[in-house]
Amino acid sequence: MATTKTKKMVTVSIDGKSIEVPEGTLVIEAARQVGVMVPHFCYHPKLEPDANCRMCLVEIEKIPKLQTSCSTRVADGMVVRSSVPHVETARKSVLELLLGNHPLDCPVCDQGGRCDLQDFSHEYTMGSRFTELKRVFPKEHLSPLIETQMNRCVSCMRCVRYCDEVMDAKALAPVGRGTMTKISHWAGNELECDFCGGCIQICPVGAITSRLSMYDFRPWMLKRAETICNFCGDGCQMTVQRKDEDLIEVNSTLGAGRNDGDLCARGYFGYHANVHADRLMHPLIRQADGSFEEVTWEEALERAADQFAQIKAAHGADAIGGLITARCTNEELYAFQKFMRGVIGTNNVDSSARYGYINGVKALQRVQGIHRWAVTFDDIVEADVVVLVGTSITETNPITGLKIKQGIKKNGAKLITLETAIPAFSTISNITTLATHHLTVLPGCFGAAVLGVIKGLVEQNLVNERVSSQASDFATTIIAAVEKISWQEIQQSVGLSLEQCHAAAQTISQAERVVVLAGQGVLRATGGEGIVTNLLDLLILAGHHGNEGSGVGVLAEENNEQGAIEMGVVTEYLPGPTKADDQTTQTMLAKVWGRDVPSTPGATMVEMLDRARQGTMKAMFIVGENPLESLPPDAKVSEALDALECLVCQELYLTETAKKAHVVFPASSAVEKDGTFTNTEGFVQSVRKSLDPLGESLPDWEIFSALSVLMNSPMEYGEVKEIFKEIRGVIPQYGLLGPTSTPHVVNAEILAQYLREGFKEDVEVRYTIPQKAAKSEGALTLVLGQSIYHSGKFTTRSKGLSQIQESGVLNVNPDDATRIGVEDGASLRLSNGHGEVTVPVKLVDRIPLGVAWFPEHFDQELRALFSLTVDKRNHVPCWKTTEVQATRVS
Amino acid sequence: MKPFEKILTKNMSNPQYTGSLQDYEATGGYQALKKVLAGVPQNDIIEMVKKSGLRGRGGAGFPTGVKWSFLPKDYQGPKYLCCNADESEPGTFKDRQLMERDPHQMLEGMAITCYTIGAEIGYIYIRGEFRFGAKVLERAIEEAKQAGHLGVNVHGSGVTINLYVHAGAGAYICGEETALLESLEGKRGKPRVKPPFPATHGLYQKPTVVNNVETLANIPHIVSRGPEWFAAIGAPPKSTGTRVFCLSGHVKNPGNYELPVNATFRDLIEELGGGMRSDKPMKAFIPGGASAPFLTPKHIDVAMDFESVAMAGSMSGSGGVTVMEEGTSMVWAALRLMEFFYHESCGKCTPCREGSSWIVQILQRIQNKQGRQGDLDTLSEICKNIGGRTVCAFGDAEIAPVQSTLQYWRHEYEALIQEAEALRATRKEKEIPVLSL
Repeated sequence: MATTKTKKMVTVSIDGKSIEVPEGTLVIEAARQVGVMVPHFCYHPKLEPDANCRMCLVEIEKIPKLQTSCSTRVADGMVVRSSVPHVETARKSVLELLLGNHPLDCPVCDQGGRCDLQDFSHEYTMGSRFTELKRVFPKEHLSPLIETQMNRCVSCMRCVRYCDEVMDAKALAPVGRGTMTKISHWAGNELECDFCGGCIQICPVGAITSRLSMYDFRPWMLKRAETICNFCGDGCQMTVQRKDEDLIEVNSTLGAGRNDGDLCARGYFGYHANVHADRLMHPLIRQADGSFEEVTWEEALERAADQFAQIKAAHGADAIGGLITARCTNEELYAFQKFMRGVIGTNNVDSSARYGYINGVKALQRVQGIHRWAVTFDDIVEADVVVLVGTSITETNPITGLKIKQGIKKNGAKLITLETAIPAFSTISNITTLATHHLTVLPGCFGAAVLGVIKGLVEQNLVNERVSSQASDFATTIIAAVEKISWQEIQQSVGLSLEQCHAAAQTISQAERVVVLAGQGVLRATGGEGIVTNLLDLLILAGHHGNEGSGVGVLAEENNEQGAIEMGVVTEYLPGPTKADDQTTQTMLAKVWGRDVPSTPGATMVEMLDRARQGTMKAMFIVGENPLESLPPDAKVSEALDALECLVCQELYLTETAKKAHVVFPASSAVEKDGTFTNTEGFVQSVRKSLDPLGESLPDWEIFSALSVLMNSPMEYGEVKEIFKEIRGVIPQYGLLGPTSTPHVVNAEILAQYLREGFKEDVEVRYTIPQKAAKSEGALTLVLGQSIYHSGKFTTRSKGLSQIQESGVLNVNPDDATRIGVEDGASLRLSNGHGEVTVPVKLVDRIPLGVAWFPEHFDQELRALFSLTVDKRNHVPCWKTTEVQATRVS
Repeated sequence: MKPFEKILTKNMSNPQYTGSLQDYEATGGYQALKKVLAGVPQNDIIEMVKKSGLRGRGGAGFPTGVKWSFLPKDYQGPKYLCCNADESEPGTFKDRQLMERDPHQMLEGMAITCYTIGAEIGYIYIRGEFRFGAKVLERAIEEAKQAGHLGVNVHGSGVTINLYVHAGAGAYICGEETALLESLEGKRGKPRVKPPFPATHGLYQKPTVVNNVETLANIPHIVSRGPEWFAAIGAPPKSTGTRVFCLSGHVKNPGNYELPVNATFRDLIEELGGGMRSDKPMKAFIPGGASAPFLTPKHIDVAMDFESVAMAGSMSGSGGVTVMEEGTSMVWAALRLMEFFYHESCGKCTPCREGSSWIVQILQRIQNKQGRQGDLDTLSEICKNIGGRTVCAFGDAEIAPVQSTLQYWRHEYEALIQEAEALRATRKEKEIPVLSL
């Protein structure tokens, strides 16, 4: 059981200093706690001891030979000596041996200045007696992003072990024997892996370095800023390093942040997305001929302010709508909705949380009364069972994925995956290969799959007794509801069998700590809120909900979707979030803002675009959001934007949406501003500036502030901290950074209310398997999904990531490819009622039969094949799945 | 030499003996297995083997019964037996003969061991080059299965014993028991950090016993004839039974000879091996495979049991005795062995990996008359820094030839270095001096 046990404490003495540590602690860790740094190469706290470098030898009383402190565990009364002469001699000898074959090419090594070999040599060696020939490896190419210099390698195998133990990718391996051992990818091919950069970060010497900044710096020239990654909802700590005004590299520190030093491809190699040469440097105003002219800030701001004022005067405030990306900081999101509500005077405000995350938060809010997870990443690591539903977690939230891998590998957790990818091994990690029970669920069928598992639980009489007695109405209603669903229906709809669902339900029921994570497959589906609610029902029925370490989490795709909702940047919520029609909050805000808070209900993103097309929405203020490319042509966004009298865009780049704007403001990227992000599990963390704003660009909040002044309703903020101070006053959870002061506990009152009454509202709808049109013969389900290497369209501008993936390739199952008659690398013509598109094909084992997967970041042409369905409850635009016929292009 | 009864090579000493199941059964084969399966409690067999004093024949000489008793008693789940048939020690070739000529003797031993430790599966990790041996074993396993000595419900006892042959891929290190397990799991053959030991965390992290071919071949005899009989042979209580010694080098009759464990080197080399091949006297011999330090002619009357050889400053190891005659260059001999160790160092631990390559280069220089003053001190220093500083015993093994030749024949090294110095003085070009910092 993974529950935190209190371990027996033992006392050890290290270099005369006594310390009490838990039994089983490694000697090297105990030493660190008393301030004795034992030198080492192969040891790393994240990895299982391998004891190969022999650098960390210490003397332990009563043991004749010197022992490796990285693999020896403390025993009570142990006496360890780390700085006696013969231990030092042993270390010197290891260094002498390592340096024997080392090229000593520090002047051209990017690790120079932060290299363990250099540092220990400086500390210990007295010169070398080695006068023989050094081994020399011919230079080999590993990857365009990762440089290997095997002559520098000390064979500590940290990279190989990290790749296997932490990432579960197994993309690196030692090849050769003895001194001729080198690190290589499968059969010497060019590296294909998760590209997490972990091998570079963990290499103690300069054997593996990044090619993105090769030879561009010496470590001591770098200026560092501790900040938070802006590429997904995980909220990883990262250290952005710059030399002068150039971004050089991104690292993460072991023990820091939610990611504990791990990063993903986007975090490690994607930072150039923020500073691409295409960045907008000056405000733009559209001319009569349709071209843009560079103007001063004054001109641009005045133009926008005038237009907004005129339209407000002529058509009312509700003729103006605002849309902002959830990539912005909390302060900016807050300032934006304050601008829209307080200065413009409308509730027409929405953000990219609308694309699906809103579904998850609303379900959490509805059932447990808190809009945050009742669990944390630490609970994932400690869980007995983790259930993944439609997450593609390694692709969307890689670091949350690592927590699951850690739980499985270190604590023996069980994993249940309701995922589209099927277990198949490759050198790119695939979470389903670690699953105890894998249930293949095609996109659009997650709701039915969840019902299958609930039915499995009910049928095996595994409904928790406490629940069936205390919430008998709830239990009996749900039991009756699932009994109405037949296994045949489930089989037909999602292809899952009774046995599969029973096995999964049994595993969930038997465990103590269960964490369920729902991803984009659920959140972006129609009825997504209902599916998340059903997942909560599942945990309630199994008796886990509300217990310590158990709960449902929803995964944010963008870095601050959680923050966006909490800042009230969705139509239906005010900051808090509280319902937009909540009078107390309205009054409170009016007092803080010194302005009226509008009471007319606002429009969601889809409604705003509809109104624009109908002519009732006259102006829009779009910040960092790109609906034209985020929605299919079927959504008629282009027509909507064309119909606007005034479109103001605030952007990093001139996106397709911004190209339609009348005024374009150049905004600063996340590396150029201060603020806070709230990650998907609800941790508020500081974002710190590492570069000055490029060109004339300004942080978003400064632009809102300036605009409000020109609109005669000034929101006067001198610095970003003032906004945060205001947020603190308005939202109590923002009192402290990091783990919030309000613990993530389920609100028992709301939960009781839900179990008594609340669930009834839509129980019929939630417990019905949606009718699905029969798939036509030979058709493929085309899915647009997130790739592990990109975040939206944003990172396609990153020079690092585009070297891994610069265009979209259709992934199909090899058996489907054989059926269609297409080989790897050939092209397929995809067609349906909407049109046809030709795309290159790659055969990928993890794609299930009947599915064709394409990275959404490169969907420019493919979007035409999709049609939009708008979720009735939360107006979430759903469109990422369609059916196509595929034919070979000869 | 006192007359004695051969145990392991008794069958194959008969020229008519083919090693088939029929032949083996005719000599009383598989009776021991039937006997234990008929209801000898497993603990009794462990006690029997402990009492017999049988020690591992692979090199380390660990008491076999004690090793078996380390397995967790009430463990639920699979346990494994692995037969270490990766015989790669230079100068050692006994297991090969035992497997090729009398496979059933070892298979019966494995079957009994499997039953004793509660393993349903036994793997024979055989050296990749032993193609013939592997074939013989596979055929023998098939025969034994047909006859009901292996498989499901062996002899109606309800016990399942399945044996499989797995061929290695040519790495000496896979003879180290944990590297063997890694390799058997399909991983790179590298020794594991111990503890945990295979007895608790072995193959696939399950309790596992790893025994040498010769060790296992002794088991049926101990079971049939009783531990007291076995314990009376050799030098009880510590070293008992017989061993198959492999004699090679400059002797008249090299080959495998079975002798009581406490026979002397003289018995082996002079009586059975027929003495030196020519009129040159003996100069040195390796008593227990390449990993054992060299001994000199004055050690010829040392008994070959583990303790006696250890007293003499070497080890009886795998029982491979290599004899060298007067005129053999000891520097060359050490270099030759060191090249082997350099080639076979798996590369896991720094001292062994880097040290072996360094030592080889120094020895090569000395041998090629390019040695320098100070080389010998460096050599001893490196050896000192390898010994006891590695995960497995390979580090201790690889320094044995260098350290022992330096101990007994240092003058040969010195002579070569002096020659190099003299040569250097006659050369026109000046050697670049080594910077000392």
